[in-house]
Amino acid sequence: MAEQRGTVGGPVLTEWFSKRNLHKLAVYESLGGYSALRKVLGEMTPAQVIDEVKMSGLRGRGGADFPTATKWSFVPKDHPGPKYIVVNADESEPGSAKDRYLLENSPHALVEGAAIAAFAIGGHTAWVYIRGEYDLPYEMLRDAIAEARRKGYLGERPFGIDYPLDMRLYRGHGAYICGEETALLESLEGKRAQPRSRPPFPALKGAWGMPTAVNNVETLSTVPWIIRHGGAEYAKRGTEKAKGTRMVTVSGDVQKPGNYEIEIGITYRDIIEGLAGGALPGRKIKVFWPGGSSAKVLPASMLDTSTDLDGLKALGTMGGSGGIIVMDDSHCVVKAAARLVRFYAFESCGKCTPCRVGTNWAVRTFDRILANEGSQLELDLLDRIQQGVQGGRCLCGLGDSAGFVIQSTMARFRNEYEEHCLQHTCSVEGALAHA
Amino acid sequence: MSTLSAHILDEIRELPAKYPQHRSAVMPALDLAQEELGHLTPEAMSEVAAALQLDPGYVEGVATFYTLFHLQPVGKHRFYVCTNLSCMLRGANEIVEGVKRATGLSEPGEVSKDGLFSYEEVECLGACEYAPVARLDRRYEKDLTPARIDSLVNDRRLPRRYQRAAARAETDAAKPAPARRRAATTKKKKSG
Repeated sequence: MAEQRGTVGGPVLTEWFSKRNLHKLAVYESLGGYSALRKVLGEMTPAQVIDEVKMSGLRGRGGADFPTATKWSFVPKDHPGPKYIVVNADESEPGSAKDRYLLENSPHALVEGAAIAAFAIGGHTAWVYIRGEYDLPYEMLRDAIAEARRKGYLGERPFGIDYPLDMRLYRGHGAYICGEETALLESLEGKRAQPRSRPPFPALKGAWGMPTAVNNVETLSTVPWIIRHGGAEYAKRGTEKAKGTRMVTVSGDVQKPGNYEIEIGITYRDIIEGLAGGALPGRKIKVFWPGGSSAKVLPASMLDTSTDLDGLKALGTMGGSGGIIVMDDSHCVVKAAARLVRFYAFESCGKCTPCRVGTNWAVRTFDRILANEGSQLELDLLDRIQQGVQGGRCLCGLGDSAGFVIQSTMARFRNEYEEHCLQHTCSVEGALAHA
Repeated sequence: MSTLSAHILDEIRELPAKYPQHRSAVMPALDLAQEELGHLTPEAMSEVAAALQLDPGYVEGVATFYTLFHLQPVGKHRFYVCTNLSCMLRGANEIVEGVKRATGLSEPGEVSKDGLFSYEEVECLGACEYAPVARLDRRYEKDLTPARIDSLVNDRRLPRRYQRAAARAETDAAKPAPARRRAATTKKKKSG
């Protein structure tokens, strides 16, 4: 059991997190765990399960924010061969650690949720693609699956019902791109993880060419609660369009970094200054990434922004995978942007030219800027590069994300960029000793 | 005579049956090979390819794509130090410097003379609430400080009598320069 740094006893996902040994099947079951899977298999049809989840309004928590029930309904009902649920446990978005938190505390919630999802799409197997660095979550999930099999909740006749269900694990080996669902599927098939062109969409041709729904850990871990309490109960929480609760990870320059379960609709001030304890002593918050490093930054003056997903979209940013990175006035925005752009360049899979070339070009430009070799040319170049990597020119959003970092930090903190490029100083972090 | 032992190759041959298509076995197979050898040599990759009836170039293509496959020798204990933004804001660079100082390494990928340590700067490890973090020996080390790095390194050093034996062996192998440098580093550790 891992040390908990975040919400315990929250409304939905972390409801039972204060219970000792929640990762053991007996404890999970004593609290009501696996009653949802039992109910689904014994009393419901796949269509009813999808309807219940549709009523909840649950949307994907991996970052794409796509309605979960709709995704499941795209999987053809009459397909003769195997159909798969693939669980995306390749959490690698900078600033996001919430899936790890869920897995380390309540692995059975994912086992149960994935089994329900498999039933909902008329499949029998859920494959979990879990990032290779997650050793402890992998072990906990492996043990949870083994326990569920022993108990007969997974297997040929779960709960004595003639509907075989199984769950399998596949370990990633270090590639951010595997969080992108088609790259993940390539990797699961034993290939270099490069995104596929769509169509065909995974719902028709996914893992090993079979109809597949790819869902995030948090999304599926929410499903058992929805079945137990009803979709309508879940939909009472959140905003009019963005229902329910979600996990956020707060990291960076705050007093209490952690994984918090929030009701969608509270503000970033509620999270950063409330739950996470606000800025470090003597410092002021300057900027925050509202949903992972791929979300466009917002300045501290916008802390009262709601976590409502559609509202964030309207602002041109996103709630993404819930990774809130907070930076205070002691840190330089240009240096932070340079670090993130280096990340995207390193993780670019190389398949699409604008992303492969553009991100590396941006890295070289930032290198010059941080070596005090910047000028108006570098400012103009960064602007051209961020435009060039954006706009759906690539098969996935990785290049766009690098563009968002450059675009949003330049738009909000033009002064810091100009200081670096035109005056070769940094009033934030002092003299530029090194890149 | 193969690089990989017979029982590992047997295990690799049994992997494809676990997956809907045999190609999916390539990464678990490379895992087994890497676990045995420490890193993936060209010969090992060819043997994996043969055991899985795949093209050697294909297997190498997969191995080179993913950061957790090592194509060069690595230390017995590897520091994967996260330097992405959340950790950087909380002192990841000092942690990298601390690892270098404690192990005597000067760059990522280099292996200490005793074979014990190597380090890499890695992207987000997904434990941002514990920043700065590093992965070491298949577990996460959290809330790191340079002092904590020192104790992690010292805990993993060989007992002193083995260190002396290793140093002698190195001198015998006519590599006086590295041996001297290492001895000096060790001494500094003791006083510090």
